[in-house]
Order: sequence, then structure tokens, then C-alpha cells
Amino acid sequence: MTLTAPVQVDVPLESVEPAKTPRTKRGLVMTLVLAVIALFWISPLALLVITAVRPLADFIGNGPLSWPDQLTWANFKDAWGIGNFATTYKNSAILALIKVPLGVLVSAMLGFALAKLRMKFRRTVMFTVFLGLTIPIYITIVPVFIMMRSAGATDSIFGLIGPYLAFGIPFEVLVLQSFFRQLPDEIIEAARVDGAGDWRVFFTMILPLSVPALVTVAILDAVATWNEFLFALILLNSDAHKTIPVGLLNFQGQFANNNTGLAAGILIAVVPILIAYTLLQRWIVGGLTAGSLKG
Amino acid sequence: MATTVALTKPKRGGRWSPWLFALPALIVYVGFLVYPAVSSLWFSLTNWDGLSATYKFVGLDNYLKMPSDPVVVTAVKNNLIWTVVTIAVPTVIGLLLAIALNGKVHGKPVLRLIFYTPAVLPLVSIASIWGWLYNPQYGAINSFLRLIGLDGLAQAWLGQDSTALWAVMVPAIWLRTGFPMLLYLAALQSIPNELYEAATVDGATKWQQFWNVTMPSLRPAHYIVLALSLIDSFKVFDMIYAMTYGGPGTSTQVMGTWMYFNVFQYYQAGYGTAIAVVITLVAIAVGIPYVRSQTKEAS
Repeated sequence: MTLTAPVQVDVPLESVEPAKTPRTKRGLVMTLVLAVIALFWISPLALLVITAVRPLADFIGNGPLSWPDQLTWANFKDAWGIGNFATTYKNSAILALIKVPLGVLVSAMLGFALAKLRMKFRRTVMFTVFLGLTIPIYITIVPVFIMMRSAGATDSIFGLIGPYLAFGIPFEVLVLQSFFRQLPDEIIEAARVDGAGDWRVFFTMILPLSVPALVTVAILDAVATWNEFLFALILLNSDAHKTIPVGLLNFQGQFANNNTGLAAGILIAVVPILIAYTLLQRWIVGGLTAGSLKG
Repeated sequence: MATTVALTKPKRGGRWSPWLFALPALIVYVGFLVYPAVSSLWFSLTNWDGLSATYKFVGLDNYLKMPSDPVVVTAVKNNLIWTVVTIAVPTVIGLLLAIALNGKVHGKPVLRLIFYTPAVLPLVSIASIWGWLYNPQYGAINSFLRLIGLDGLAQAWLGQDSTALWAVMVPAIWLRTGFPMLLYLAALQSIPNELYEAATVDGATKWQQFWNVTMPSLRPAHYIVLALSLIDSFKVFDMIYAMTYGGPGTSTQVMGTWMYFNVFQYYQAGYGTAIAVVITLVAIAVGIPYVRSQTKEAS
């Protein structure tokens, strides 16, 4: 696992500390305490890894808290096949690859209109869109189900794109418009003097200057899309069209008595997101805090 | 010359241009969120079963039925417990972790990474992991209790009314502590050091500094944490559905899952939708101050 791999962080977390002796000692104690808590915090995942790489007989014989006598990859092979992960991975990946760029683009366009263009009813639009943050998905599932059934889009990952976009837009617009707002008006005015229209300003100036915000929003949106459960549960029926969360739920039912296989399956489902998170955490952390603190 | 040009309004695109930018997102948002949410209001006034081609308008019947539905009573109670516990506990743990991490500690990035990790996992996988830890026979939690000699405490955590809801809240706390921690950490780092220096000069103890410097400076962060957690807590569905399926019996039903059961198991789409409307209205009412503050700040 790459969970504890040290990762480069842009924020200078450690301030320079000239005074040495007593404070360093207290720092060491604090570090130790936090390390123990962190170990405890991550122990469910650590146990999952240990269980996934041992044979079932070894697990049952020695108990879940023992160190494995024997190591094996067989659990992963079994889980991969029975859990239908090749299919669910493909479906979740296709969905994210279509939904995320599209969602970020339309949200960026709306965010640009709200932040930098003189738009009528600006505050009304903003209020209405931000209100979407408070709406639970389940208030929409009956009408969305009917809508998709009459459009023949149930049991297809493409039927999920519309609802996923709609529920992603409020957060994306909130973060992006607040980022765009901080870009100086002068550069836009200067471009206008040179004859650039709104579209050229948007594509050649606003977007390139906002890459950090766009990347953050895209990552958070990808995580949310990858993890979404309720829409996928009601709209997808056949195994061939399921996404990772719905597939995992099925798999959990089938493997109820095979603890090691279940652990391997859960790991298969979460490893991509754990790797992506570890590599990209700097963007996630920055975006979450900037998005909500600056608003 | 440049000033005069900059002061005139842009002619190109005119008044319509902003709407060309706004429309794609607005059409999707209205089509797949606003319109379905509003038409749920209509369905909640009917006796539709979710399958038939026809249904009758029944007025407020579905709403009037709710107080006498024992499961709704359980669900409301569970939603309340869920909201209080999964806001209070993660916020306090998150704040304590942030304060500890803001001190002189080694390996901060790794620690921060670990504490936030549960928040990025799919809820269904968190439910699977904890369902597996709670397994009465082979679960790690009971094994640990037996290991330290507390055999009497080993029990079917998810299988009995008295513990099921609390057992589901533990993983919820696990996953929801990361966000307040990150937010508080960022807020703590933005408190100017001079404030503490001034307080030290005035002879304030560490404890006094915490209450008179740190806590007041964290007020905006408290507000955001509480507002977002509150909004989030009304949406609870995935965890309950995947961990207990509302059971044992109906003891862990919340409004979100009870709505789902009515619509997709008992073919009472009208009644189920009415349940969803009630909790959504509460969520909106609670969320409006936050939404307004975000709108105002941006204007």
C-alpha cells in the first residue's frame, strides 16, 4: 500500500523553529501520540490489506488479528472474477471520463458569467444554483427514474450523466466563480481593448489562469462521481452496466462467508481512489479549504 | 485614451453573451435537479404506486398519514440522533487533531494524509469494511474484545436494536473527521502569530490564549464546518442502506432509506415522495443561511 508514502506539500506547514531543547522534546511526545492515533485510525484499512493477502483457512484458524502464516494472491484473482470488476471498472471509468470534463467546462462557463460578465438576475441565479448544495438526491429519484424510463435511458451509464452533472454543478460553480472573481479585471479589460470577445477571454485567459482551481474541482468531482451510489442503484439493473459502488454491494452479498475474498474485493474497489488521493492530495486539500473558507 | 475605452461597456456580445455562458449549466441544473425536485411535490400529493399508468390526486393525505406511521417516528428520531452525533463528534475530534497538527509535530503531511483518507472512500466500501469488522464471529472488533479479556462485550453490533444505529455512526464519524480537521488546520495557520505574542506579553496562559485568541479567530471556520455538516447529515442514505438495510427490523431506518423502501419495495411512490419532501424542506430551511452568505459574499 502507498498510504503512508510521504507526499510533497506546497503549504509550508512547519515554521522555522530556532529555540531548541524543551520544545523539541514536547514535539516528539506529541508526534508519538499522534502517530499512535493515526495507526489506530488507519487500522481498518491495514487489517483489510493483511486479510486480503492470506488464505481463508489461515484467517479462520488464527483469527483476524493474527499475523498471516502464509501469503497468497489467490483472493484477488477470485474476487476480480466473481465481483465482475473488469466490467464495473470500465463503466465507472467511462462515466468519469465523460462526466468530469463536461461538468467542469459548463460550470466554469457559468462561473465566468457570474463572476466577470454583467449578467442580469445574477444574484437570483447564484442563489438558485447554490441552493442545490442542500438538496438531497432522493427527492429527485422518482421523477428522474420516470424521465429516464420514457427516454429509454435506464440501465445505461449514459442515463447517469445528466443527474450527475446537475448535482455536481452547485459545488463546482461555487468554487470556480470565487476563483475567477480574484482574477484582476484589468487584464480582461486590456484584452477587450485589443478586440477580444467574451469567448476568447474565457478560453485564452480565464481558463489558463485558473488551472489550479480547475484541477482541484475536477479531482473532487471525479471522486464524487466514482463514489456515487443512489442514482446508480435505481437506474442500473444488469451486471453489464453497473458501476463500482453498486457492483461492490452485490459482491458483498455473495462473499458474506468468505472474509478474505471480501477483503480483497473491497481493496480492489478502493485502491484506485487511494492511489489517486495519495498522489493528488495537495490539490484536494488546497481546494477544499480554499473553496469553503474564501467562498 | 485607454481609460475612456475601458470605461465603456463591452459592445460585443451585448446583453445576451453572459447567458450563452450560463445556459448549458443552467439547462442541465434545471432539467435534472430543479424540475425533478419540484415535480416530486406533485407526486407527493397523489396515491401513485410507481407502476400504474394512472393515479389519483389525494391532497395532503400522504403528509397526514406520516405521524401515525411508527417507522416515520423512528426515522425522524434516528435522523436527529445522526445529525447531532455525526456533527458534534467529528467537529471536536477534527479541531483537536488540527490543534495538535498545528504544533511542533514531525511528519505532518503523512499524518494529515492518514486522517483524511476515509473521506475519499466510497461510502459503500466504508460500509463493507465496517460490516466486516463488526462481523460477530470473525470480525476484528469482537476478536479484539476477546483478546483483551472483555468477552462479555463481544456482540452482534449490527444485529440488535440497541447497538445498530451507534455501530453505523462510528464509521460515519471515521469518515467525517477529516474535513473539519483540514478546515481548522488551514484556519489555524492563518491566525497571525503577533496575536499570540501580544497575548504572551500580556501574561495570558496557554489556556486563556486558546479561548481568547484561537477560538474567536476560528469563528468563520466553525460556521462553515457546522453549515456543511448539517447539510450533509440530512442526506444520509448510502451508509444505512449498505450496512443495515434499515434493520434489524426497522430500527435504523432514516427518512432517506424509508423513502426508498416505500417507493421501490412497497410500491407507495406517492407516500415515499412525501417523506422525501419533508426532509428536503428541512434541509433547505437549515441550509438557506449558508447559501445566502455564499451568495452575498460573491456580490
